[in-house]
Amino acid sequence: MSKNVNRIILGIESSCDETAAALVENQGGTFKILANVVWSQVKIHQKYGGVVPEIAARNHVKKILPIIDLALKKSKVDKKNISGIAVATGPGLITSLLVGAQTAKTLAYLWQKPIYAINHLQAHLYANWLNNQPIKFPAVCLIVSGGHTELILMKNQTQLKKISETLDDAAGEAFDKVSQLLKLGYPGGPIVSAMAERGDAKAFKFPRPMIQNNNFNFSFSGLKTAVLYASQKFSPKKLKSYKLKANLCASFQQAVVEVLRAKTIKAAKYYNAKTIMLSGGVAANQLLRQTLEQKTKKMGLKFLTPKPELCTDNAAMIAAAAFFTKPTPWQKIKVDPNLSL
Amino acid sequence: MQKILTHSEKQTFDLGKKLAKALRGGEILALTGPLGAGKTVLAKGLAAGLGIKKTINSPTFILMKIYQLKAKNLKLKANKLIHLDCYRLKNPQEIINIGAKEYFGQPNTITVIEWAEKIKSILPSGQTKNIRIRLKGANHRQIIIDK
Repeated sequence: MSKNVNRIILGIESSCDETAAALVENQGGTFKILANVVWSQVKIHQKYGGVVPEIAARNHVKKILPIIDLALKKSKVDKKNISGIAVATGPGLITSLLVGAQTAKTLAYLWQKPIYAINHLQAHLYANWLNNQPIKFPAVCLIVSGGHTELILMKNQTQLKKISETLDDAAGEAFDKVSQLLKLGYPGGPIVSAMAERGDAKAFKFPRPMIQNNNFNFSFSGLKTAVLYASQKFSPKKLKSYKLKANLCASFQQAVVEVLRAKTIKAAKYYNAKTIMLSGGVAANQLLRQTLEQKTKKMGLKFLTPKPELCTDNAAMIAAAAFFTKPTPWQKIKVDPNLSL
Repeated sequence: MQKILTHSEKQTFDLGKKLAKALRGGEILALTGPLGAGKTVLAKGLAAGLGIKKTINSPTFILMKIYQLKAKNLKLKANKLIHLDCYRLKNPQEIINIGAKEYFGQPNTITVIEWAEKIKSILPSGQTKNIRIRLKGANHRQIIIDK
């Protein structure tokens, strides 16, 4: 990133069920969010127990231009002062990604601006830069969301290497599935952690999957099954008990957080990290934030995590990532639902 | 019909690997069984048997993942594996809308579907091989494979 240049990027995000647009300014290396608008479809998908791709895409089509328009108005930036357009091109739902990519391409063509194809996962990392704190490398970064659980090594601000990932379910997916099997609703993350606050984390002894393994990979499929088996030991009538459900949630959340903490710390030690970063939707989980922060500080390392509203899907992080990315000709913009780091 | 008992995750994985050897292209493997039965484990075994080195993780979130195959033997005509997970689906139309149905039965494609019962109505019956997994205690599974 070149210093002493003032650039403003319009970010567009539509990977899953959030339609988002943001304007982010970078002045000599300091980031400033001028506008950050997120329209969440979560209420629409609630009754289906998860995101329905077709419905998500239709809603993106409906909302994307009004959201971009709103972001522009809020930021008071004239389009002629925008230096480029950034858009998430994967990973995500193919039908959702297409809406953002097509919109970004059209605007880039119309306004004659460079366009930046952004990897949504990379953007979760760059959300940490919006804090404007100095970052010491190497950094070990945990990205944890509904679709991903990965550890990334950053040697400098542009060199990324995937250290490990989940071998089956993502952590956020495990929250959704546990929420569903306890009939608590969707999205599982916030519901299960709210229940967990009122429960006893030691009530059930759930496994800590792969915590002792020598590698850094994760696995959450077996943990969800363990919660299922534990719940099946109770009669349907007993399972209605708030206390019992709270205890199951608390014990489950404790297991997830412990595994995430242990693997991240292990990787940080192995790679001699100076910084630990936490991002992605599940990074909004308070217990995870506190646990990882405490442990990181104890080790004398720097801990960074975006504000909760910049952990869940947003376009400010997409715009932030553009400052570290080369533009792509609009003719070559392609979406990839399975894009990896 | 073939009934096989497995007694560990490893055995279920190995069964998938073995089943992969008989695949040529165009097959649709419809996996059914309750939560925790080992459908993903079997799918991982199938992928390993097809020579995929990438991690096969849950496609629940994005519904469909596509993996490229490199043919190691001339009998395998397929060049991609489609891994679908219908757990979240309420309506088979969702699978049609993401374009997954276009892959079903294509000679260059092998399709593995978890929670296949949810889209039974749109699976081509002639090309679909049903694989049912039954729980028989914590580690034991009965796997019933259609001929």
